[in-house]
Amino acid sequence: MRRNKTISSYLLVSPYLLHIFVFVLFPVGFSLYLSFHQWNIISPMEYVGLTNYEKVLQDQYFLKSLRNTLVFLAIHIPLQIGIALGLAVILNQKIWFRAFFRGAFFMPVVVSGVVVTILWQQLYGYEMGSINLFLMKLGFEKIGWLTDPQWAMPSIAIMATWKNVGLYIILFLVGLQSVPKSLYEASSLEGATRWQQFWHITLPVINPTMMMVMILSTIGGFSLFIEPYVMTGGGPLNSTLSAVLYIYKQGFFYYHMGYAATLGLLLALIILLVVFIQRMVIENKQP
Amino acid sequence: MPLMSFLFRLNISCLVIGCLASCHRQQHDDHTLVFWSSSNPEEIKFAKQYVDRWNENHKEIPFFFQPVPEGQSSEEVLLAAVVGKTTPDIYANMWQGDVEDFARSGVLVALDTLDGFLDFLYARCDTQVVKEITSADGHIYQVPWKVNPIMMMFNPAMFRAAGVETVPTDYSSYLEAGAKIKRHAAEANLGNQWLGISEVNPIWWQRFFNFLPLYYASSQGAPIVKEGKAFFNNEHGIGVFAFLQKLYMHDYFPREQQKGQSDPFLASRIASTFIGPWTIQQNERFKTEGFEYDFMHMPLPDSMTGPAYSYGDPKNMVIFQTCKHPQVAWQFLQTMLLPEADRDFLALSGQFPRRKDLDSNPLFVDYLQAHPELIPFARQAKYLRGMDSAQYMKEVLDIISQEYEACVVYGLKSPEEAIAAAAKAVDLLYLNE
Amino acid sequence: MKKFLFYILLGLAAFAFLYPFIWMVSASLSEERSITDVSLWPVALTFDHYIKLFENIPIAGSFVNSVFVATIVTFGVLVFSSMAGYALARHRFKGRNLLFYFLLFTMTLPFQLTLIPNYILMVQFGWTNSFAALIFPGLLNAFAILLFRQHFLSIPQDLIDAARIDGCNEWRILFQILWPVSVPTLITVGIITFMTTWNDVLWPIIVIREEHLMTMPQLVTLFAVGGRSMGQIGMKLASATLLALPIIIAYLIFQKHFIQSMAASGQKE
Repeated sequence: MRRNKTISSYLLVSPYLLHIFVFVLFPVGFSLYLSFHQWNIISPMEYVGLTNYEKVLQDQYFLKSLRNTLVFLAIHIPLQIGIALGLAVILNQKIWFRAFFRGAFFMPVVVSGVVVTILWQQLYGYEMGSINLFLMKLGFEKIGWLTDPQWAMPSIAIMATWKNVGLYIILFLVGLQSVPKSLYEASSLEGATRWQQFWHITLPVINPTMMMVMILSTIGGFSLFIEPYVMTGGGPLNSTLSAVLYIYKQGFFYYHMGYAATLGLLLALIILLVVFIQRMVIENKQP
Repeated sequence: MPLMSFLFRLNISCLVIGCLASCHRQQHDDHTLVFWSSSNPEEIKFAKQYVDRWNENHKEIPFFFQPVPEGQSSEEVLLAAVVGKTTPDIYANMWQGDVEDFARSGVLVALDTLDGFLDFLYARCDTQVVKEITSADGHIYQVPWKVNPIMMMFNPAMFRAAGVETVPTDYSSYLEAGAKIKRHAAEANLGNQWLGISEVNPIWWQRFFNFLPLYYASSQGAPIVKEGKAFFNNEHGIGVFAFLQKLYMHDYFPREQQKGQSDPFLASRIASTFIGPWTIQQNERFKTEGFEYDFMHMPLPDSMTGPAYSYGDPKNMVIFQTCKHPQVAWQFLQTMLLPEADRDFLALSGQFPRRKDLDSNPLFVDYLQAHPELIPFARQAKYLRGMDSAQYMKEVLDIISQEYEACVVYGLKSPEEAIAAAAKAVDLLYLNE
Repeated sequence: MKKFLFYILLGLAAFAFLYPFIWMVSASLSEERSITDVSLWPVALTFDHYIKLFENIPIAGSFVNSVFVATIVTFGVLVFSSMAGYALARHRFKGRNLLFYFLLFTMTLPFQLTLIPNYILMVQFGWTNSFAALIFPGLLNAFAILLFRQHFLSIPQDLIDAARIDGCNEWRILFQILWPVSVPTLITVGIITFMTTWNDVLWPIIVIREEHLMTMPQLVTLFAVGGRSMGQIGMKLASATLLALPIIIAYLIFQKHFIQSMAASGQKE
């Protein structure tokens, strides 16, 4: 009986073990192995030592893609947290049509990123895009949203915010609802303003949510692919070349499998490091 | 336990589906050879015709024909086929710049080892072409088949209206035409008009329509890379970048693409463009009544006299190592390369055969006389360059494209700096070999 | 008055989120040349773009492919992840804690790390250009296991003991006793899995090259990026509308579940 149960335990987790071995453990190891090789899939693999790693250090495009990611995050994260938190605070109150508003903000979250990018590619159009036509009606100059190297990445960051903000509104709402009502009541009696309440009661409680939003946005920023792939192809002047798009190009366009694997490995390390640092910083800040 | 058995069945069906999907490739017996063409409808029609004809007379080794399976790009499909060992025996749409990569991987048959190949080749092409397609290892892995010469197409009415008396043939007259068109459009309140348009996207193959033909024209067909090093870092490469840069800096060429609108050339908003012969069919179909267009060779550096070379975008035929009867495959290919076949192909698709007797063989002379609109391209076909027989040509063009964007389109670098940077990156590419 | 202004502003914000979708649908139903001046209603109503779209790319087939792949993956995730979650929550066996920490660790691994080797794995298995490449790697995921584990931890031991006394084996306990009382978790995991599988583009683009095997987002992406759409905005928007429609309809019907699923997805930290 006991033995039987042990066997069934292992049986229950066996698909997971098999899956993790084939699709996670082996690939991680293989990735490391590949990074010391040069391989275009059709020719035999060739051991090249640390060449791939040396190449990364001189690779201006990889550096550029990381810099682009920073630009993206610098715009995306504050925008995301600001808008999501603001709307969540509003939706947390008793207002009319709450379900409608929540539903509207959440809509872009469910549709595919492809739809969003195709849509915004048109909205961002230079000559005929809705946004520029609107700007011109107001008497402003046209902006090359996706064709001006200064604007292209910010444009993508704005679009990504539009796409994801609904999700973060929901997460903040969950956080806000966990603030005990009695705290507000007590502080009201002591004459605290609403702003003070927000600052001293609400913020500390939703701090973990804030951290999560930050980490999820960061990971999202490092995973940016479909947006530049569809909208700009990484241009203009590589201003929207994302790290994943660059890995994709190296791997599936030039078939530099060894080099692409090296880039993937290093990118993964960078992401882990960034997330780790973010955590340290935020956790230290907490009282 | 109904649920368990259901789960079990689900598992099995997943496996079956997976297998079905991966094992659906057609199986052929040893005596059938597989032939892939491009997926262009005219080429499919042409290839089918010759396969049928062959199969009637050669029942012992027939051919199975299909267009290259749909995919993002034919190179990717070919690579996947090489990996899966499902390559066709013959592929007849190989971009010349890809051949060396495949040859180095050992998946192509060295055609010069086949009986009668070299005799045939020298009868068809001049020595310059033979030199161009010879691999670094001295073998030849491709049959030169077809080309699409890139030329300058222009709108004579727009030139006339702007006071451009003679068709510009060199850099300064072309730039001058740009100034005149700009001025005329402003004076006559015609809205935005430009001298020309060219794709600004830094993807490698867009250089077929600007940098490459201009570089070949300026250098009379100098190589891009030579002996594992960049060769384009010379006065010609720099001169072409400088010329193109001026076109954008003076706003003679628009930087914003004219997407989502009708063809700007046919709408008389663009006076010229660099393009191949396929445009003729397109123009005839969509042009308005009385719309004129004509062709001229690519602009040349000032004071240079012809002949003006150009890029020809050669697509060639190759035989894969998986082929069990390479000699038979070669025999079959020869039937598709007969003068009559080449003429039929020209008539059907508007693409030119890459052969030296276009202006002497009565078959072609007669055909061209009946189709005078093709004559400029036939003349250009004598002065064409394709791609160097070197590895990584796509990446080389991509590197040039990156600098092209920074220098030509955005003016952030001088032509000298841009060409030097590109050359450095290309040298690095070959250094890792 | 202040309240009125507040609702106007909030309404404008909601409009900013809905307008692009409304524009997409109405533009896809308008004549090509009048698309740019469309605001909220189609100009010169036409179904041309849709008709041409169906003639040009096998979008109906890709829809079937997507439904097929997403359904099987979702089902697989529910079954296999609940199995592992159950064992991790209610069984004692050697290596259980190790396995649990390992699970948490793998969750932190970015997918960028395994992208290239997984592709090569698919090549070696001969799975490129087959649904197997889309299905097998997705059949389990750590996050789903975690959600199931958390949920199963909250189920009273009495329920499981009673079933054991009745002679149920572990499989029956999981699928016939626990599943019926775990519907909210099943829905949460199901919606998240279905949605992410349905919307995934990068992986299909890498492993599928044959058009008749492509998923819907992949086909639409390649159509929009590649030359096939011939720069025709109307057709692009029609393809985007068709891609968005199924998931929007599902969302409108199961709105509450969608939002709850997403709220639950935030619990992973």
